[in-house]
Amino acid sequence: MAEHSNVRLSLANTAENVAVVRTVLAGLADSEDLDPGEFNDIRTAVSEACNNVVLHAYEGELGAMDVAIELGEDSIGVSVRDHGLGIEDQVLDDGAEGPGIGLHVIRTLAQQTSIDRPPGGGTRVSMEFLARGLDAMSPRLSSGPDLDLSGMPRFAAAISIAPVSLARAIIPRLAYTLAARAHFSTDRLSDVQLLADALSAHAGKAVCEQHVSLGIGVQPRDLQLSVAPLRIGQGRQLLRASDLDGLGKVIEKLADYHDINACQTHETLALSMLDRR
Amino acid sequence: MASGMTADHASNTAMRTRQDENLGELFARWQERKDPSARAALVERFMPLARSLARRYDRSSEPFEDLLQVASLGLLKAIDRFDPARGHAFPSFAVPTVLGEMRRYFRDCGWSVHVPRGDQERALRVRDAQETLANERGHAPTVNQLAQYLELDSEQVLNALQAIQAYESLSLDAPRPGAEDDGATYGESMGSEDERYELVELDVTAVAALRHIPARERAMLYMRFVKDMTQTEIAAEVGLSQMQISRLLRRSLDQLRALTRDNLDGD
Repeated sequence: MAEHSNVRLSLANTAENVAVVRTVLAGLADSEDLDPGEFNDIRTAVSEACNNVVLHAYEGELGAMDVAIELGEDSIGVSVRDHGLGIEDQVLDDGAEGPGIGLHVIRTLAQQTSIDRPPGGGTRVSMEFLARGLDAMSPRLSSGPDLDLSGMPRFAAAISIAPVSLARAIIPRLAYTLAARAHFSTDRLSDVQLLADALSAHAGKAVCEQHVSLGIGVQPRDLQLSVAPLRIGQGRQLLRASDLDGLGKVIEKLADYHDINACQTHETLALSMLDRR
Repeated sequence: MASGMTADHASNTAMRTRQDENLGELFARWQERKDPSARAALVERFMPLARSLARRYDRSSEPFEDLLQVASLGLLKAIDRFDPARGHAFPSFAVPTVLGEMRRYFRDCGWSVHVPRGDQERALRVRDAQETLANERGHAPTVNQLAQYLELDSEQVLNALQAIQAYESLSLDAPRPGAEDDGATYGESMGSEDERYELVELDVTAVAALRHIPARERAMLYMRFVKDMTQTEIAAEVGLSQMQISRLLRRSLDQLRALTRDNLDGD
């Protein structure tokens, strides 16, 4: 499932990040007009799978929580993976406590559930849900390295999305949620949303692959966004494209700082937004 | 011309034919050569159609100006997609396109369908608290401050803020907190201030897209992006809430992007 997903999200296994996963799902549900009842099931089950990773995967340590989402014909697949000890053995025990309860909920709500140990270690819970009216989306993310964010600094969240047209449903919400965590005022939160809208709208022609990846870093009153993989020369072009009739380059105006980092194969547009109130 | 036809009929037919040729030429100039003046002429020509369709959906809960904006966006889509070679008249293509856009708008703004009553009330409480705290402190609050003030968790506040963004029901006619005494609504409080922000101030005489944005929103875009005012400052200046400014800026920028064909879009 994860190899052919439309969205891959990578976060630390903290409780507050479970809300970030829900935000991404809610963005997809809105844009794809999912039935509210079906979405509720998806939301609940995926939250449970994430909670398992938060509580049990790393024995109290921090570790990665990777979520992959695949939009299919009348169905949506979500897998939640950790790189930790693996919950499978515990699940196979009687499971009256801990992860067993979450998995019971998941099995009840999902049409199909499977648990495996993917190559590289850890545990993956894969769920398939009914989502009537949903169309399969292509292209999908290719297999290989999880995220094309090489050379980027540490992020609170990293996400890859294919097709790029899905970015508009996800990136503004994701950035908004993480900017709230950076203690942005509602005023500046709205700016974050406007900037994320502009990035989502213009990224399609700028990327050199069929997906867009975004890394978001969170510091107090400071949000960093990195967008990749852009074709060489397209970082500047992306900024230029946001220039709307006499208003100036919207992205540049909303961001406090921007930089374009080039490597041999692609460029990364790095933006920083501050809340200086 | 067939004999026996009245002079009036003949001249009407001739006029129609001339107009149709003219229309075909305008569509060719826009669709093939991206001549913005051709699109402007088409918009002007068919705006009465968009207006009459918007009127069809006129209801007290949605300001007519908003409806007209949605209908205009539908009209622009129709102008972009119309294929004169198929031999249909433009209006027969445009009407379903515009109506589709209107229906999508109503679907998107249908609180009663999509948002449970409890969530609606929470969204309104968050909106009011946002304004109260901003007035008290002189700057917009953070999500955590709102959560503390309302005794909600921050995810609930975030969801409420998203709901306010996504749904249009907090319309310009919704009562403003503290405005009960004079019964002022957002729409009224805008007044004639817009007139200070004429097109010429934005230096848009050479561009078409901003002309299609209503004066109210154009003024906000000008204040945010040219005068570099914060959304809170704009809100104070025009007498709207910051949430309203946020929503209107977002929608206007979306429309500008839809109107600006030369940009790089995501599809």
